[in-house]
Amino acid sequence: MEPLKIVVTGPVGAGKSTLIRTLSETEVVDTDALTSENIGKETTTVAMDYGTLHLGDQLLYLFGTPGQDRFDFMWDVLSDGALGLLMLIRGDKPEDFVAARKQLDYITSRHPVPYVMGVTRQDRPPVWGPEEVAPFFGLPLQRVVGINATDPQSAATPLIRLLELMLEDQRAV
Amino acid sequence: MTKQEQLQEILRELKQALPELRSIVVASTDGLPIVHAAVDAPRVAAMAATALGLGKRISQTTELGSLEETIVRGNQGYFVVYAAGDKGVLAVSAPADANLGLIHLEARSFAGRLAQIL
Repeated sequence: MEPLKIVVTGPVGAGKSTLIRTLSETEVVDTDALTSENIGKETTTVAMDYGTLHLGDQLLYLFGTPGQDRFDFMWDVLSDGALGLLMLIRGDKPEDFVAARKQLDYITSRHPVPYVMGVTRQDRPPVWGPEEVAPFFGLPLQRVVGINATDPQSAATPLIRLLELMLEDQRAV
Repeated sequence: MTKQEQLQEILRELKQALPELRSIVVASTDGLPIVHAAVDAPRVAAMAATALGLGKRISQTTELGSLEETIVRGNQGYFVVYAAGDKGVLAVSAPADANLGLIHLEARSFAGRLAQIL
């Protein structure tokens, strides 16, 4: 089976780097820089994160993007050749949903690939669950998964869902 | 002198030392412009931070030691990004016929001065 390239994107602080560190079976390539803005954390990704993961026999290459709009050129660079997209949003930060929606439109309009949304921080209530987030983005519930990005089993669930959707798409063709 | 004035002064001196430079951007390592002489500085600042961040990681992963600079060379010129301490980046662009050795010599020393202030 050919490896699949998956892009992990989402606003700042959604948990993209965390998810890749949680899941990767190989040493993660990260590009953290000190932050100069108040974004609630010390460092931020400026180029990419990279990790690899097997789901069953399927090898996935995970490419994480920077979160800030000013790095949108990297969204394009990293999405080139991707076969699926995982969009992460923080369930306890609904004020980021509008930015997330723009980001999702930006990427999927240029790179039309199957995508799934992961709603992070489900372990830290009060938090929006997938059933509340899905209508906001106008997505069917099967495309929205609630996760905890620090838990390996939980973090893998949206990727499993993404693979299922990609298989369904193939069958439909 | 305020920090901003000191940085403007360094920018002015760098322009004087290397008049062939097409643009100069000083940015934070997370890609926000601080002082500049460039059109489209916000975009250049973000790209400079990306180039430097990726360069650092490549340098580490391929055992090249600590990063000196990241160079992009097109057929019409250079874009070079220097680390200015661990908080800043200095990005300059120059035409293809510029003296790259001289640019390195000056820019590295200016990057050192910027690092002191940032």
